[in-house]
Amino acid sequence: MRKKAAIIFWLAFAAAGICQSDKTAPDFKLQDIDKNTVQLSSQTGRGPLLISFWATWCKPCVEEMQELVKIHNEFHDKGFDILAVSIDNEKTVARVKSFAKAKKYPFTVLLDTNGETAQKYYVGQSVPAAFLLDKDGRIIYQSSGYKKGDELKLRKKIEDLLR
Amino acid sequence: MIKKITLLLLLCSIYMPAQEIGISNQLEYSYNTGKKIEILENWFNADFRKDYFSAGIRLDIFQPNDPDPSISRGKEKFAGIDFKYLRLDIGNIDESLEITVGNYYALFGRGMILRSYEDRTIRVDNNLLGLKLKGTYNNFVLTALSGSSENSSAERKDILHAFDLKYRGFNFLNLGASYAINIPEDQNSKRTSLASVRLEPSFWNFDIYTEYGVKLNETIRNEVLGGDQIAGRGFYGNLNFYYDNLALTGEYKYYDNFGFGNSDRTTNYNQPPAARKEYTYLLLNRHPFPLNQANEKGFMFDMNYNLSDETYLNASYGQTKSQAPGSYFQRVLKTNSPERLLQEEAFFLANHAWNENFISVAALGYSSEAQSNTKSITPVIENKFYFGGINTIRVILEHQQTSVSATNEKYYDDVLTLEYLRSPLFSVAAIIEMKTTESVEDHVIRKFWSMIQFGYRIGEHTDIAVLLGSRQAGVICIGGVCRYEPEFSGVELKLFTRI
Repeated sequence: MRKKAAIIFWLAFAAAGICQSDKTAPDFKLQDIDKNTVQLSSQTGRGPLLISFWATWCKPCVEEMQELVKIHNEFHDKGFDILAVSIDNEKTVARVKSFAKAKKYPFTVLLDTNGETAQKYYVGQSVPAAFLLDKDGRIIYQSSGYKKGDELKLRKKIEDLLR
Repeated sequence: MIKKITLLLLLCSIYMPAQEIGISNQLEYSYNTGKKIEILENWFNADFRKDYFSAGIRLDIFQPNDPDPSISRGKEKFAGIDFKYLRLDIGNIDESLEITVGNYYALFGRGMILRSYEDRTIRVDNNLLGLKLKGTYNNFVLTALSGSSENSSAERKDILHAFDLKYRGFNFLNLGASYAINIPEDQNSKRTSLASVRLEPSFWNFDIYTEYGVKLNETIRNEVLGGDQIAGRGFYGNLNFYYDNLALTGEYKYYDNFGFGNSDRTTNYNQPPAARKEYTYLLLNRHPFPLNQANEKGFMFDMNYNLSDETYLNASYGQTKSQAPGSYFQRVLKTNSPERLLQEEAFFLANHAWNENFISVAALGYSSEAQSNTKSITPVIENKFYFGGINTIRVILEHQQTSVSATNEKYYDDVLTLEYLRSPLFSVAAIIEMKTTESVEDHVIRKFWSMIQFGYRIGEHTDIAVLLGSRQAGVICIGGVCRYEPEFSGVELKLFTRI
């Protein structure tokens, strides 16, 4: 049994080496907090796009969102945008809209109440997780968790894409 | 078998364009030095996407499986593909068709009728195996599915048929209706079905969600309720209001004999909102209160207010009561118990940024629970210091004072968390807990737990966490669903790779 597990474990790392090229971000359709349906493929093509998975109950997520507001305000005019995907489940989804409005998030906040889009990105319940896409919809950078200072690398990646 | 799958996946990784493949691996290993128990859990996902088509598998390995039979489902050791699907998704936002064959998850509304989902933290996976269709046309969204979930022996015997229709043609109002019926394998068992309608109006700064549902079951109807057409009832209402820096959320729930699952009752199909607060601090989660769809009613208010750019306030209050005499729940059980308060909770939090590099949080929680006869008060202080642009030091002190009214016992818990984080790669945390019990007056017993946890990121794709030490037993609850984690002493390794 352990041998089998070791094979799987090894496979993940082997594949990590093989699949280093940028991957196309999985498409999704989700409702935003104002009940509009948003499809990822219709949001790409204009410039760098950040998909940030978060939840109202997640403290590091809320910290990261404060930094994302600053980054959005700085780069939005240059074509950068953010889709903040809330994975709040049916228990806490009621708080997402009022939370986002009180915090005055200037970007689109989407609801992934059953976590099916989060599963497509292998996020599960491990938020925050962010995926930076180029204008062709390829994932060129990803991060999980948030520590103060993580936004520096993200900012650099966005600047590189906007050049 | 495993080797063949591994080889196939590896070949696929090499020959298929990498842009179209997704892979993740989550490994959790622990060795309990006190009990000499070794546990290995591994989830490996591989998905392939090409234009409108996608397919994937999940290979699960458990050795041994979870001691909770509702999680392990009779499997002591397990390695196999527990989730596989083929999906076709064509169209755009206005007109689309999605067909899924194999294992899938689904959510209708906010879960009153159906919620099939996976949450590894609490080891819930009530996926359905069958066919799911989702179509969008002319502002109508129809989801129809037929599938089977695992029973206590990990066999898929019962069949669930369900549909959900949503209309989103009005700007100010969304409408919806759901229906689900469980057909047991045993043809002598009666079928159980749930139906609901929902209204979601929005106007000015208000958002409202209401859903009303009924449960039908012929056995209960004929043998218990004397011909009453309905065997259970459920209602959930949610009102959101936001104005400038203020946001208010109110929720009301009424679940009377509204549980819905397979015939051996080891899988829940529905999971309506629990209308309870979800906490991020350790001790505030120490007194869990799982959702009971059969016998609950109550409310929850939550308020967020940004006093200024530096100061943020959050307050909430909620109550859960049992159903009154004459309710479906009590009629089915043939009881006549008075309505009683099952749980009450209040919480207040203030977050203040003294400057860009120093943030303080003060919180106070109160909870009272009838089942365990406990009342607890929990003050929390948290301070965060940022320095050098990439360094964080976090200090959290939690104190909980609990009294058990049945025995007059009192005990105190103190948790100190010290954490250092360095972006982007490294974190280390030390958590020390002390429990003081005074079961007999002037006879104080103290118990300590302490652990240290290291976190490190390898590249952009892999996170590794190592825990050494001991922690107290506790219950993890998400969305009203709880999982008990026994006391632990030893080493734990968590490794997650996402490609």
